[in-house]
This record gives sequence, C-alpha cells and structure tokens, in this order.
Amino acid sequence: MKRDNNHLQPNPDPSSSLGGGSSAGKAKLWVEEDCGMDELLAVLGYKVKTSDMAEVAQKLEQLEEVMCNVQDDGISHLASETVHFNPSDLSTWLQSMLSEFNPPSSFDPFGAAGTTAAALDDSFLCGPAESSTLSTLDFENNNRQHQKSGQQIFEEASCSDYDLKAIPGKAIYSPNTQPPTHDSSSSSTHNIVKPEKRLKSTSGSHSDIFPPPPPATAAYGIPSDSIRPVVLVDSQENGIRLVHALMACAEAVQQNNLNLAEALVKQIGFLAISQAGAMRKVATYFAEALARRIYRLYPQNPLDHSLSDVLHMHFYETCPYLKFAHFTANQAILEAFEGKKRVHVIDFSMNQGMQWPALMQALALRPGGPPAFRLTGIGPPSHDNSDHLQEVGWKLAQLAETIHVEFEYRGFVANSLADLDASMLDLRPTEVEAVAVNSVFELHKLLARPGAIDKVFSVVEQMRPEIVTIVEQEANHNGPVFLDRFTEALHYYSTLFDSLEGSASGQDKVMSEVYLGKQICNVVACEGVDRVERHESLTQWRNRFTSAGFSPVLLGSNAFKQASMLLALFAGGDGYGVEENNGCLMLGWHNRPLITTSAWKPANNTSPTSTITY
Amino acid sequence: MAGSNEINLNECKMVVPLNTWVLISNFKLAYNLLRRPDGTFNRHLAEFLDRRVPANVNPVGGVFSFDVLIDRGTGLLVRIYRPATGEEPQLNIVDLEKPVTAEVVPVIIFFHGGSFAHSSANSTIYDNLCRILVGTCKAVVVSVNYRRAPENRYPCAYDDGWAALKWVNSRSWLQSQKDSKVHIYLAGDSSGGNIAHHVALRAVESGIDILGNVLLNPMFGGQERTESEKRLDGKYFVTLRDRDWYWRAFLPEGEDRDHPACNPFGPNGRSLEGIKFPKSLVVVAGLDLIQDWQLAYVERLKKAGQEVKLLYMEQATIGFYLLPNNDHFHVVMDEISKFVSSDC
Repeated sequence: MKRDNNHLQPNPDPSSSLGGGSSAGKAKLWVEEDCGMDELLAVLGYKVKTSDMAEVAQKLEQLEEVMCNVQDDGISHLASETVHFNPSDLSTWLQSMLSEFNPPSSFDPFGAAGTTAAALDDSFLCGPAESSTLSTLDFENNNRQHQKSGQQIFEEASCSDYDLKAIPGKAIYSPNTQPPTHDSSSSSTHNIVKPEKRLKSTSGSHSDIFPPPPPATAAYGIPSDSIRPVVLVDSQENGIRLVHALMACAEAVQQNNLNLAEALVKQIGFLAISQAGAMRKVATYFAEALARRIYRLYPQNPLDHSLSDVLHMHFYETCPYLKFAHFTANQAILEAFEGKKRVHVIDFSMNQGMQWPALMQALALRPGGPPAFRLTGIGPPSHDNSDHLQEVGWKLAQLAETIHVEFEYRGFVANSLADLDASMLDLRPTEVEAVAVNSVFELHKLLARPGAIDKVFSVVEQMRPEIVTIVEQEANHNGPVFLDRFTEALHYYSTLFDSLEGSASGQDKVMSEVYLGKQICNVVACEGVDRVERHESLTQWRNRFTSAGFSPVLLGSNAFKQASMLLALFAGGDGYGVEENNGCLMLGWHNRPLITTSAWKPANNTSPTSTITY
Repeated sequence: MAGSNEINLNECKMVVPLNTWVLISNFKLAYNLLRRPDGTFNRHLAEFLDRRVPANVNPVGGVFSFDVLIDRGTGLLVRIYRPATGEEPQLNIVDLEKPVTAEVVPVIIFFHGGSFAHSSANSTIYDNLCRILVGTCKAVVVSVNYRRAPENRYPCAYDDGWAALKWVNSRSWLQSQKDSKVHIYLAGDSSGGNIAHHVALRAVESGIDILGNVLLNPMFGGQERTESEKRLDGKYFVTLRDRDWYWRAFLPEGEDRDHPACNPFGPNGRSLEGIKFPKSLVVVAGLDLIQDWQLAYVERLKKAGQEVKLLYMEQATIGFYLLPNNDHFHVVMDEISKFVSSDC
C-alpha cells in the first residue's frame, strides 16, 4: 500500500560504498537497489538479497529445529566457543552456525559436549576444541578451562592479565641497547638483525616543483563520507561560545578575511581561559593552529623523531587507542598465520615496535610451536642519524631469544612508504613464508602526494600478503574545503580529548595531548604535501581498497570480545566501546567511533584461505 | 516437538511478510544464544551481533541526529533527532542545540525495547524508528540509552528514564514558543513502554507535566498465567520461558512477577484513581502472548478515570512497527501522529 513516504526515508546503509549524502537518492523506499538487496532489511543493517530471502528463511527454520532438538549444552557452545563473523551477512552467518551442527562428514553432530568433527571443510568454523586452539591471542587457557568444566561463566575482565603483560610499556624503552649474545646451546633461536637500510627518497625534493595535489578523493572519484557522528559531552554554555568563536574564525580564514580571523583568534584565547577541561585544551590547540595559518607560521615538519617517539609512547600508555589498534591487528595476523611455519611481518608503522612483543608471545605459545618470525620495520629517518630502527630490532631480538622464537629483523628508513619497492624486501616464495603487512595510522599520510597511495597498493600486492592490517582514524579530515575539515576535526578531537580527561593525570596525559595537538596543527595549518594528517573514514578506505583489488578479511566476535575486555581495564573504561561494522572493528568514545581496524588481502591471491571470508 | 514446531513456524510465516519474518526470527535466534540458563547474559556477543548506526548531523530524509552525554557518572547517553530546517547545509555544534522555532514542538522521549536486556539507542532498528517518528509527528525525539539488565536491574532503567526526563524538561532550546515550556511525550516499545509508564508515574509525583504516553506492545506481566500466554506461547516468535527469563533478569533478585515494576496494577501495585496521569495511547498486537496483561493495563487505567485509547491490531505480531511493510505500521503511525499533535 503506497503511502506518502517523505517521512519514511530510511537511514543510509552505513557501509554503503556510495555514501551519497542527499536524501533525493534514497527516495526509492521499495525499489530494489543494486545487487538486489532487500532494501528494508538493508536499512536495518542486514544484507539479504531478495532472491535469497526464502533460502535465508529456510536456514532460520533449520537452525530453530536443530536448536530445539539439541540440549542446552549443544547450543551454548555456539555462544561461548564459536567465533562469529559479520552478522550483517545473514545468509553466511546462519550457514556457519548450521555447519556446526551438520558437518559434511558422517560424524554424529550431537556428540559429547557438542564437539563437532574436525573434518569441517570451512576452516574458519571452529568446533569448541578447535576454536580454543585456533586463534585467541590470549584466552586460550581460559577457553579450555571453560570447556572442561562445562560451565558458562561470565568472564571477568581479569582474564586479560596475560595480554597486558605481553605489552611492553616501559620495558622496551630502556636506554641501554646491546646486540644479543648468540647462545650456542639454543641453536634454534637464531636472531638476525640486519643492518638498517636507508632508502633514497624519490619524491622528497619535488614539493616545490609539483603543484599541491588534487583533493585526495578525486583519484577514485570517491565522495566524502556522508555520515558525521557527533557526541556532545560538554553542555556548558561557555563551551558553545568557544566553539562559535572557533567556527567563526575558521570561516573567516576560509573566506580569506584575515583581519577578522586575527581578531577572532585573539577572542578565542580569552574565552578559552575561562573554560575548563578538555574543551579548553582543544580550543587552545585549534586556536594555535588557526593562528599559524593566519600568520603563515607553518609548523616545522617533520617533527624531531626522538620527541615524537616520546609523545607516541605516552599516548600509548594513557589511552587505549594504540593498544586497541595493536591488539586487533595482531589478532587478525595471528589468525592469518595459522598453520604457517615461516612468517614475515612488514610493518609500515614501526615506531618503537610496541605492537610486536605481544604477537611474538602469542606465536611462541602456539600449539605445535612458533613459526620462524621475520620482521621488516619501516620508518622515517631520524634527525640525529641514529639507527633507531636498529635499536628497536635489537630489543625485539632479545625478547625473541627469551621466548625461543626464531627471529630475523630488518629496518628500512624511508621518507615515504611510496619509496618502497617489493624488490627491496627480500621476499620469499609464498609457499615458504607467509606475509602480513601492517599499518597503524600511516596510510593516510600517503594521500598528501599524488600517486603515492596507488604505488603503495601495488607494492603491497606484490608482497602477496596473507593479510593486510590497517588501523586508521575514523574521520574525514581530507575534504577539499578547509571549513569542512576544520569542523570535522573540531568534533573529532573534542571527543578524543574528552576521552583522555578521565585517564591518569600527569605527564602521560599532557604528552598525549601534545601528541594529538600536533595532528590538529597539521590538519588545520598545513596544506599540500605538508598536510599529512589526511584521515579518511572506513567507507572511504573500503572504496580505496576494493578499487585497488583487495577483498576484506573479516574480524570476528573473538577479537571483538577481547578488545572489549581490554578497554574495560582503562580508566574511564565505561565510555569506550567496540563496534562491529561489516567485519571491521571500531573503537569509540560514547558511541562516537574514533578509530577503525580493518583487514584485507589481495583479491586474486590464490592461497586456499582467500576464498573464505575469514 | 519437531512436528509442532513446524506448525508454529508456518503459522507465523503466514501473518507477516517474509522479510519481517526473517528479521524477527533472526532476533529470536540471536537472543536464544545470548540468554544463559543460569540467568547471566552474553553481553559481549550481544554487543557484537547488534546492528548499530552512528549519529549523523548530516540531514538524511529531513532528520539529523546527535548524541549527548547527560550523566557522566552513569554514562547516560541520549540520541537526539531533529527535523532539518533545510537552511544549513552543514550543521555544526553551535547549530545542534539551536532553539526550536515552532509555536508547539512535541518532544518525544523514546525508550527502546529489548525486554530490558537487548538493544541500545543506537541500534539500527530503533534509530530508524525514531527518525520516522520525527517525520510523522513533526517532533524532536530524544532516545534514551538506559542501562540494561541483568547487569543493571530495577530500578536503573527507570532512574535513567527519569534523569533523561529532567534533562529534557530543563532544556530551554526545547521549549515551545507558545508557552516557553517543553511539550513532553513519553513513548516506548516492549520494555520501553513499561519504562514510559513508570517514568510518567514519577513525573506525576514530582510535578513535571507529561502530555501523553505512547506504549507500543508494552512489556507487563504477573505471576498468574493468563489465557493469551497459554494460547500463544511459542506461536509467534515469543515464549513464556523467555519472558520469564527477562523478568528474572530485570526484577530485584528474589522478587516475583507481581512486583509493581512488572505488574503495576497487580496485588502490589496501586490504583491511579485521582492522580493526574497523562493520557495514554496503548497499542496491543493481537498475536502477542502478553496481550492479556496489556489489555488489563488499559482497563485499569480506564477504571481509574484516566484517558486511554487502545489500538488493538488483530493480526499483528511483536515487532510489526520495525518495518513499514504492513498496514498495522501505517495505522499506528497515523494514530501516534494524531495523539501527539492534538495539543496544538
């Protein structure tokens, strides 16, 4: 029955690659969209093809029937042991659960304690015995315990003690570095730390020759994201006045009315003093950035490396963003390396290598023994010409020695990831060594130079990775219009700073704020190749990756749960939340997503796991 | 057992469109996984499975939304939905709490359903419903992300509802031009309907004016097993067993279903005679097994001299209002719109 449906516009599908903002394009409420998806269910977050509806209904019926026939124990493992993926894809999700009960072999599916046959052909489906050994980074022992006791316990956050021990914190920052002594008695631990390579930058000198790059979105014709989430955490009147002044100033800058902008920036200074907490700090950073833009006092770029390391470390300690990033990426890498005897991680965001001890620990504990672990760390040059990447490598080698993991390391210094070529990396055949590429808060910097991201995508493809793990800020700070970028960044960093307020005070917090302040300055005051903080949203990155020939590797409920539990350990833990979005995991503060972890692999990768949505 | 299930499944497939059947059956399946026999709840899996959507200050379909943290201590968030005026292409923080301009603007405080344990204000199904309410009622909708059971039992959800009501009532930007007052309606489905009733009670006691309650398939119950519960148990997506589980999870430990939170007019409840309770619009689905409790609620309101309109949707199941693909949906939306605009 047709009704006047102007008021019945559905939400845009948040994961839609079109991201079209205007409501006009969404007027067709009952007309099937591309791919024949049922539009009504799509609006509610479920992707079911209209042509599959009957089949999906049938699966639901089958599952209902099976669940009625099995005792409570039988289905409880579906909740506690099974790893679930991408609940939006109903058909696949239902099928995966059905397969738990009806494995293709002739085993009795309702055997003792619901242990299902090992002969499941979909390797990502785990019966209870397998799921506990497969992949969980930290909770293997706990899972096994639960199996034995047959008890369903609401796991306490204390389960993640193991995980935190593996994260080095200050340990890796010790000033003394020595090359590892080769202990002849442990010949299996063979640590190799190769001399650091310095890559000649091919594009570094071009900034004055080439014009500023076109808006990053033009390369793929990707529209900027149409979803702009905002959470107001500060309802004080002063806060609003401050924001008003900031916006007015940014608008003046946008219109090149620098006299007005100058006057407003001073006003902001006064207003900020009277404000308390996060809002004052955020306003101060934004005001400073505006001032730099107005007076053309652009910040020195790049930052002194040792200072940025320090800031990075404090940020790591203060709030969960980096830990979440490392944790979720490591989980995906661990799963991708399942069954591989030799593995190679190529890290685009090496910094102090804080991500790797945890992965190495987990690999060390793998049933059947750890693989040989090779790490290639890539980072920018340091100003004092120190071999900082080497130092990091030595420390990791020491760790590897203590946990008996065969370790090989090489550091590459590069001004830009685009300077990298696959031939430099000494890649070994895929059958011999599995590769993971990892990038935490690095990829967006490539959007500052034309062609850089494309080059990197193609180099990554040549690496033939099992998995590419990406963590990026969940925001669009790369739109073509300054005022839009400013507004987005103001919302984003306000939320981020607010999340820091509840954390431990003191130096850690201040350093974290300075760390973020540098980003703010870059987004607001810089342009062209200097503006490297070109954050883009998940929707935009999805478009880039799929256009470049990658397909998603899904992160599942195990990673989700453990990430949630990790968050609970941070002060102000209640405000943090993890969300699942079509196989990606997002960390947010009070429902505002702030960072996203996604995983990919080249679509034409011929290894067996490529056909399975992992 | 398998045989009777077949009949059940076929029956409920006859009364709803296939995609609705898939949607609600999927919830039923997921919820079965989440409830543990010992009364605990698999919260992590619940959060993983729930489909969510962020707020969006970009207007979509004429509505924009933003979240507000109204109580840091409890982490109480509300999501506010406002009609876009069409003037501002890019909404900024300064615009979000701009005063409403019309003579009369209804403000609907919405409590999502989920039997006190499931869903959130940012669940896609509820985000969608709230957007529709904005358009239908020309209202501002404030959706409350109340604390859920079993981690947070009675009275947490009511406390959060009350906190949200006080907050809404004190926002100058929500005041209608006509009388500089906030024109408040309480609305909710399932457990949200129950919360709306109890928050209205508190409002009456505290002198905050509520102009009306909209209860969609409100969740009530009692110790007694009513005829509809026996007749419809397990037939249309819902079982008595799961109803019992949710009450056990929400009510204080050791309490039974005659606790006034569950059974407001039961042996431990009280009459509303002589009390200035808001007028109510109560929607009852004819295939909902708890309808006897809902109908009794309506009767008791009438007996106490309260204004109440009952919408009995004979062939409707639970959740019919989640998708606009059936007549019940449109009838109900029309009635809600009339109910909320009748004060202009």
